Amino acid sequence: MLTVRDARKRYGTNAALDGVSLELGKGSVLAVIGANGAGKTTLLKCIIGLLKFEGQVLIDGIDVARKGKQARRLIGYVPQQPALHGDLSVRETGMFYADLKGVSHERAREVVEWVGLADHTEKRTDALSGGMRQRLALALALLADPPLLVLDEPASGLDVSARLELRRLVQDQRELGKAIILSTHWLEDVPYVAASALVLDQGKAVFQGPAKQLTANAAVGSKLYLRLNGHSPDAVPVIRSTAVAGAVDQAGDWLVVTCRAENKAQIVEALFSAGITILDFRVEEASVDEAVIDLQSVAGEGR
Amino acid sequence: MRAIRAIMWKELRDAVRSRWLVGYAAAFAVVALALSQLQGGDIGSQGFNRTTAGLINLCILLVPLLSLVLGAAAIAGERERGTLATLLSQPISAAELLAGKYLGLTIAVWSAIALGFGAAGFLVALFEPITDVKHYLLFVLLSGALASATLSIGMLISVIADSRVKALSGAVLAWFLLVLVYDLGAIGLALWISSSGRTLLAVALGNPVEATRLLAVLSVEPDLQILGPLGSYMVDRLGTATSAVLLLLSLVAWSVAPLGIAVRIFQSQDS
Repeated sequence: MLTVRDARKRYGTNAALDGVSLELGKGSVLAVIGANGAGKTTLLKCIIGLLKFEGQVLIDGIDVARKGKQARRLIGYVPQQPALHGDLSVRETGMFYADLKGVSHERAREVVEWVGLADHTEKRTDALSGGMRQRLALALALLADPPLLVLDEPASGLDVSARLELRRLVQDQRELGKAIILSTHWLEDVPYVAASALVLDQGKAVFQGPAKQLTANAAVGSKLYLRLNGHSPDAVPVIRSTAVAGAVDQAGDWLVVTCRAENKAQIVEALFSAGITILDFRVEEASVDEAVIDLQSVAGEGR
Repeated sequence: MRAIRAIMWKELRDAVRSRWLVGYAAAFAVVALALSQLQGGDIGSQGFNRTTAGLINLCILLVPLLSLVLGAAAIAGERERGTLATLLSQPISAAELLAGKYLGLTIAVWSAIALGFGAAGFLVALFEPITDVKHYLLFVLLSGALASATLSIGMLISVIADSRVKALSGAVLAWFLLVLVYDLGAIGLALWISSSGRTLLAVALGNPVEATRLLAVLSVEPDLQILGPLGSYMVDRLGTATSAVLLLLSLVAWSVAPLGIAVRIFQSQDS
């Protein structure tokens, strides 16, 4: 469905995208991960044909650079910060984009209802909350039922329930056979939404493969901070015995355990079983920047 | 075609909603009525002709200013609001987007001119029998043609400028050059370079405002004094009919060429 070959984009001397290639088939989801400025949005804009670039992007065999209009018929795009005409109502916005895409106004009404904006159709888009605007942008992307969805940071600005809703939506669309490429810097979303991942750093692909392998390769660690009932020395061997903990350090009153996000509960359970009371705890999730640094060091060691 | 139509209708709707269309129509009507009264209240058989002659000078000031500013805001405004990328991520080409915007704005400005001058003409005609409407209608059409030409220049400025403020500044500068500086500057420069007839002809055709002025004067009262040195030279050497055709072709070229260049530049830009 989507082929990117050696895509390069430079701004002056700065390489925003440096030889990225990828393939995405129908019914697949690819998460593009990277810190701010890594090249995620640049890659997605090249796929849409919004930027001039070197290399080639094919949408179902159609070259975006040569036949942009034809290629964009097959794409539904949700930008990072959807910019809509503020003077139009939700209903008018749906109708305007339906006219642009050549679909019926009835279809526009359907998708607006489907994303939960049925009660806001007469509201001007500049009066919508960030989450509602994001949902409207999603409705517009789905208007013509395109086989490829390009979602740029779709989770940004969404609350927890909206993020869960988004995960469901991505799964539904994938099950309908759509190819989906989405960018995110929320690493914890990736295993739930995408089977494969592409990590970008300074425009270069530093990892490309199954999303599960990403978490394994990157050795991404959450930090579990525990304040115990004066049993820290006893707790260390218990934590180590779980075999899922990485480094265990003392920081003042707190015991800091590095582990994978999914193993936190196992460590807490082991402490309970050993009769060690936890007075307080907090969790620090690994950021995508840390993941990228880990990936770079892995790549460096391999060289 | 579908995409062009959608963009065109949106431009028209925006023009009506923002009330500038009605505002400019009212302004044109007031100016035309005031001018007809300033002719000493004589709105009889010569009324239209005198009003028309007076309106020519006002029209070549007002219409280019309005059209250049509207054209300049067309793309630069969308770019600044971020909606340009949203529009271009749809199945629409850069050329279609520009064409839709240009057509929508052209229809809107033509409507404002027709409504404004039409209403004024109707009111004037209510009080005196109409004997010379032809020249007045021709003047209204020429105003529309000038609007189309200057809108095209405005769109080119809009595509080149990277912000709305720069686009609007560019539009005002273009208006200043075309309307105020051109006459003296271009004629002086042309005479300095070469005083040949061809140079003077190029100067006359090289500015849509000057071309409109000459056409309007030729159609109302081809007086050599009012025509000025360029118009007098053209009529003297080429005759009224050939001069009129050349000036009309110049207006058509000014409506098409800047827009064509704008499309080429727009196609090569990142969104």
